[in-house]
Formats: sequence, structure tokens, C-alpha cells
Amino acid sequence: MTDEYVDIHKLAAEIEAEVRARRAAGEYPPGFERELDRLFDRFAPPEVSNDFDAALERAEDLVIVDPVIPVASNSPVLGVVKRVVSKLLGWYHVWLAQQISALSTAINTALRLLGGRVVELEHITGDVARARGVGARTPARRDDSAWNDIVVAALRGVSGRVAVLECGEGALLEALTGAGLDAYGVEPRAIVADVALARGLEVRIDDGAAHLHAVGAAALGGLVLRGLVERAPLGELLLLIDAASAKLAPGGRLVVCSLRREAWGDNETAAEADLVAGRPLHPDTWNAVLPEQGFVDVQVHAAGAGAYVVAALRADE
Amino acid sequence: MTAVHQFVPTLAPRDAVGRHYLAVQETLRGAGYRSEIYSYEAKEEYKRLARPFASFSGATGKEPTWLLYHSSVGSPVADFVAGRDEPLIVDYHNITPAAFFARWEPAIAGALMKGRRQLAELEVRADLGIADSAFNAQELTDLGYEHTSVVPILLDVAALDATPPDPATFARLSDPKASGGADWLFVGRLAPNKAQHDIVKAFAAYRRLYDADARLHLVGGSSSHQYETALTAFVDALDLGGAVEITGGVSAGGLTAHFETADVYVVASEHEGFCVPLLEAMHHRVPIVAYAATAVPETLGDAGLLLDAKDAYTIATAVHRVVTDTALRTQLIDAGIARLREFDLAKSRRKLLDAIEPVVGAPT
Repeated sequence: MTDEYVDIHKLAAEIEAEVRARRAAGEYPPGFERELDRLFDRFAPPEVSNDFDAALERAEDLVIVDPVIPVASNSPVLGVVKRVVSKLLGWYHVWLAQQISALSTAINTALRLLGGRVVELEHITGDVARARGVGARTPARRDDSAWNDIVVAALRGVSGRVAVLECGEGALLEALTGAGLDAYGVEPRAIVADVALARGLEVRIDDGAAHLHAVGAAALGGLVLRGLVERAPLGELLLLIDAASAKLAPGGRLVVCSLRREAWGDNETAAEADLVAGRPLHPDTWNAVLPEQGFVDVQVHAAGAGAYVVAALRADE
Repeated sequence: MTAVHQFVPTLAPRDAVGRHYLAVQETLRGAGYRSEIYSYEAKEEYKRLARPFASFSGATGKEPTWLLYHSSVGSPVADFVAGRDEPLIVDYHNITPAAFFARWEPAIAGALMKGRRQLAELEVRADLGIADSAFNAQELTDLGYEHTSVVPILLDVAALDATPPDPATFARLSDPKASGGADWLFVGRLAPNKAQHDIVKAFAAYRRLYDADARLHLVGGSSSHQYETALTAFVDALDLGGAVEITGGVSAGGLTAHFETADVYVVASEHEGFCVPLLEAMHHRVPIVAYAATAVPETLGDAGLLLDAKDAYTIATAVHRVVTDTALRTQLIDAGIARLREFDLAKSRRKLLDAIEPVVGAPT
């Protein structure tokens, strides 16, 4: 029990650290949280965006509009009125229902044709979304040692929270917390995140871009982009930079860790490189893109032969 | 006389935004403006307080007339004000991102998307964007609104004392306390963005780790039948039916009874534009544990334990700390009372007039 004024921000950090430590020590029932997630997902409807056929089938179930006017009523008088109205207007309802059903059927048919053409395109070009999912789930290993020192140096002195997306098994994250930074990681692959969690690091199992979107505006002092910057398609990459600009506080630091194009697809990243639409940008491209989004002092550092680090400062408003 | 007329999608009792409309009208009239409320629909006893929006025919004579549109969802009222010639102010109460509802209630997701489109379209018409929070103001700025001003929801905290706890509810909630166990409370509509399912997860962890007799009360109507059904099935599957109460809508007295018997107020929302129940919890001296998302940190200030992580164990551990540490409880409750003063109705009324007067001019 406390008997003096408590700094609640420190207390919250202590609680989060305590949970991480207890988790690392195996004090919590193993798999309990994931079991809770799975159980709730059992009752939740499937995500709408992924299943075109199911959405189309649902639309087709609703195509036929019932022309029969409901006449049941708790009140005998109202029941009579409804039956009279039904007799008078029944023909009109049938006429309207037929037209609506015909329109819905035509739209659904067009959608099914369109769906068929998309499937055909996917067969020709490869199912990019599916392959990307597999690529993102493949637990690629990266040797962070080449860029750890550069990243720590780039973020030294930053105040506020530092997010590392994606943190992988946590080597870079560990280097940052070891240097006294208030850093946490985000990693979408549970199997990889578990390794980082077991090191006692603060890690959220979440999609990196989705997490960044949910963070409050100007809430971060630093942001490290790693892993996802190599495989994100160009459109997603630009959105990621927009989000980074919005979520970093003025004066905050953005650090991008990436393999060079020539090293992308070698060894441990082969599966990712083969299965995704994106590829790493040339280091100089960051120099061109980041100032457009409010970053200044963009610096590119070589991190061994196969990798580079870009550091930039979020300009004051 | 200058007129500032409000245009709202829905005027409903027991709704914080609905009470805000009425308080805004009272403030404007008190300052010397003429002000009526025009709505798409008005419910129950509020019907007599609003006129149908389509009945608005414009300024009376040469009276300077402004429209004040309240944005919280897609509405035909937005299209109506967009097509008018009178100058416009938008008061933004936040529109939940449609993605939260897409898989649960596609129709609601559609209405939310429409609301965001309408809000963006009104930017060219609006001379001022008012927002409940800096978080909401930032969303307006992102949409291109050049002039924004933060004015909190006009909430008469003193009015919360006007309704005593419903005796039957109070007794029903108090009786189990004799056999121990903490009472968790969350007030808000059952909705995916409010993440009541994450509260249930944390509650399950809490019962397992700290307090097998704890109870959870989820108070509020439903915004999604599908989400409500899934949540109920989830609670049953966890065998927590006897410990988790999903009340649906309650009377004002029932709400007071829930606040007065709660040991801790827990928020796991992913998206809130302001979060009025936080202020109600502060007023009823219930300590708060909340996940730091969107506008929650701004409304809460230092008056609650704010968590960056929302996993079940972290929330459970934080609640345990708040429930068992008397000095911490007292500190949080005192901080809540102090924080509430920042949202004092008189202060908020002044902020509203300070925002509006430079734009519409002093009342004539």
C-alpha cells in the first residue's frame, strides 16, 4: 500500500513492466490470453474484406424481394385493415418486387462476372494478397547487429515512447531499452513475438501499420520501421510515411532500417521477397520522399554491405 | 437579433450529445442569440423541443442567421445544410471509423462512412469547426478545416446529483458485496469500438489471478445486435454468466446505482471522441483504469490510471492495484474531482461563446 503521492505515469509503466517480467518468468497460465482471443473470435463474424464469395452469396440470398404483404396483427381491427390494404395494393407490390428483384439479380450477375475476371487475373499474375499473407507470416530472421548501434545513436536523447515496427525477435528493441529508451515493439507474427516477449520486452502482437494508425497524433518520440518497409507495396509505404509524420511529435525521430535491394531475397528473407509485391527502396529514395512529409535532416547510414539505416527528424509545426 | 440555429441528426433524452444540444441552445439564448433546434428525428419527451429540419425556411427578414450543424453520423441533415446559403459552423462530436463496424453491422458502417464524407464536404462551407476534444479538432484539421476551436461537451455535472439511485437496483448491487469481490463498471453502448469484449477478457484474467468473486457490469444499450450476441455468447462460454451483467439501457436512477456501487471504472475502448462516462465516474468518485486510446487520455488527464497496453493481464494488474491500494484510490478519486472542474458547465459555456462570437459577431 502506498502512503504518499503516487506518480501515476510511473505507476502505469511499473505495472506494464511487472506484467512483462511475470510473463517472461512463466507466471501466467500459458496460452490463456490467446485462448480468450480465439474464443471470442469463434462468436465474431468473419472479417468482411477477405471473403468475396461469402459476401456475394449473402447478396444473392437477399436478391428475391418477398411480394407478400404481411397482414398478421394483434388487433383484429388492424388485421382487417391490413388485409383490405393488401387486396387493394397487392398487385402493385408484386410489380415493384419484381423490378427490384430483377435489378438486384442483374447487379449480382455483373458482380459475379467481375469476380470471375479478378480470379482469372489472379491466376495469371499470382494471388498477390494471398501470397503476401504467407510472406508476412513467414518468420524471417534478420541479423540486426549491423544496425543496432546506428539506430541507438540516432535515437539517443529522444523523449517519449519509441515504437519499433516490426520488432522481430527483439534484438534491436533490447538494444534500445538497454540504452535507456522507453521503447516497445509491435510484431504481427505471434511465433516471433513470443521470442521477444520471453526476453521480457514489451511487445504488442499486432499489424505494424494498423498499430501506427491507432496511436494518438504526435504521441511518439521515436519510431523505427523495420521489416515491413521491405515488403510493403509502394502505396502502403507512402501511407506508412504519412502515418509516421502524424504520430511523431514535432522533434521526434524516424528511423528506417532496411536491407538494400541487392540483398533483398538472399538467405533468410527469400520467402518474403518471393511472396510479396513490395521491395526495399533505394536509400536515396528516402531522401526524396521524407522531406515531402515534413521530415528534415534526413541522413543515410550504411549498415554493412547489405543494409542501410535512414534517420530523419520530424520538423516542428 | 442574430440567429444561430442548430441542425442535428437526432435529439434523444439520456444521451450526452442530446443534452449538449439543449445546453448549447440555452447558452446561445442566454447570450442574446436567437436559437432553435432542427432535427431529422426527435425522440420521446424531446419531440416538442425540435422542429423538422426540412421546415427551416431561412432568415427572418434581414436577421443575420448562422447554421450550427452537429456531426456524429451520416445524416440527410448534413446534405440539407450543405445546400443552404447561410454561413455554417460545424460542431464535431466524432464519427467512429467505419472499419470498427464493417464486419458486425455493414449498414451502420455505411452510415458512418457517409458521415465522414459529409463532414469532409462541409469543410468548404464551414467558417469554423468546433470539436469536443483536441483529438476531434485534429481530425477536422486533417480534413482541411482551417479554423477550429476545442469546446468540451456542455455537461451539467450538478444535474447528475438530481437523480438518486434507484433503490431496487442499489439493493441488488449492494447485497453481493457482503460476500466480497470487487465490482467493475463500464458505461457505454455495446459497440465494437468500445471493446467490451476486451474488458471481459481482462475481467476473466482478474478473477483467475486476484479475485474469484469479482463482478463486472456492462451498462448501456446496444449499437450492434451482432456484437451484443457475440459478447453474450463469449461471457457464457467463459462460464461468467453469474459474474458479468450486461444490463442494456438503464434508467437515470439505475445508472446512479451502478456508479455508486462500483469499485473501479474500466475503459478498453479503441476509439472515443471524448468519453463522457469518464466524467460521470469522476463525479461519482469511482477510480478509473483506462486504455490510452484516441481522446481518452485527453479527457482523463491525470485523473485515472492510463495504460499504454491493453492486454488482459496488464488491465487486471492495474485494477488490482487500484482496488487494493487505499491511498492510490483516494488520490485518483481526488484527482477526478479536480479534473471535473476543468469541465465545469459555466467554463464550457464561456468557451463556446468565445469560439462563436468572433465568427458570428456579438449578439445584436
